[in-house]
Amino acid sequence: MTSRNIGIMRYNPEQDKKPHTESYQVEADDNTSVLDALQQVQQQDPSLSFRWSCRMAICGSCGVMVNSVPKLGCQTFLRDYPDSLVISPLSNFAVEKDLIVDMEPFLEHLSAIKPWLINSEQSTVPHVQTPQQLARYQQFANCINCGLCYSACPQFGLNPEFRGPAALALAHRYNLDSRDLGKAERMPQLNAKDGVWTCTFVGFCSEVCPKKVDPAAAINQGKVESAKDMILSVFKSSGVR
Amino acid sequence: MSNSGQQPTRSDEPIWWALFSAGGVCFAVVIPGAILAVGVLYPLGLIPGEMLGFERIRHLLFESFLGFAGFIFVGVAICLPLFHAFHRIRHGLHDLQWAHGWAAKSACYCSATLLSVIALGLWVAAH
Repeated sequence: MTSRNIGIMRYNPEQDKKPHTESYQVEADDNTSVLDALQQVQQQDPSLSFRWSCRMAICGSCGVMVNSVPKLGCQTFLRDYPDSLVISPLSNFAVEKDLIVDMEPFLEHLSAIKPWLINSEQSTVPHVQTPQQLARYQQFANCINCGLCYSACPQFGLNPEFRGPAALALAHRYNLDSRDLGKAERMPQLNAKDGVWTCTFVGFCSEVCPKKVDPAAAINQGKVESAKDMILSVFKSSGVR
Repeated sequence: MSNSGQQPTRSDEPIWWALFSAGGVCFAVVIPGAILAVGVLYPLGLIPGEMLGFERIRHLLFESFLGFAGFIFVGVAICLPLFHAFHRIRHGLHDLQWAHGWAAKSACYCSATLLSVIALGLWVAAH
């Protein structure tokens, strides 16, 4: 164990005018994660606020910026930052206190695209699926809703009305699911200005995704679907079926 | 957040995105091919001079493909890349927060349309 210095962005809305960085000493070895370090600091200063739960990259709670890059605290290690390390709250979200951000805008975008199986068919037999049908959407089903992709997305930073990477990737995931019949309900959200078309394929969302969901690919496949939907709508409105 | 029950209106972006995509392919395939032939191989003497001679090029541009080869070449080497470039400029202006919305969009695509009409017009005039 060696002692080292880390910086943490602190902000208490009741006392501070704006966020500021404070430095702390932590004991670290090769196995010390950013989340471990934050918990050590909390022992020194119980007023430090941050979210965490599972410690194994499943819950998606401990998202923070590590040297200005969105990361899961539990999956990021101090050994990879030998020079300096500054932990700050996720970008593009309003800070509530210290490292805690308001995730409400993200959750609203998520619910808007109806990320659940839509199938009113009443049946007592299970909806079976072949491995090929599963493979179509499986990669996009690994999202843990951590919000790192929203912090990485410059378009979400410029326009918070943009549905954003995780929501659009999940819309694509359910649209690709052979058991789902809800594509027609989801397409208007994808077709909108704040749907897939705000994305300019920067691709940083896919780079920071801790579960390798590749939301940038999902959104750009969504653009093809939306373009097809537009062409079909022209035929439908002109009476051709 | 706009999460009301009302359906959002459809974006016209697929049209511009389709032109952008087509222009991207032309930028990647046709223009390097043209530069290679005219700008590299010909000056280096690797293709015979008569291949790019006046009579042959005139025949290629105005007589082959039912007389429309030149029209198609101007389309894929100038018009579609123009839409590709102006699409990037429009989104670049938005990213830099210099200009966005209806005015920037109109200025960009009107410029692409105008320059395309001039390019195709020159071909028609020379025909």
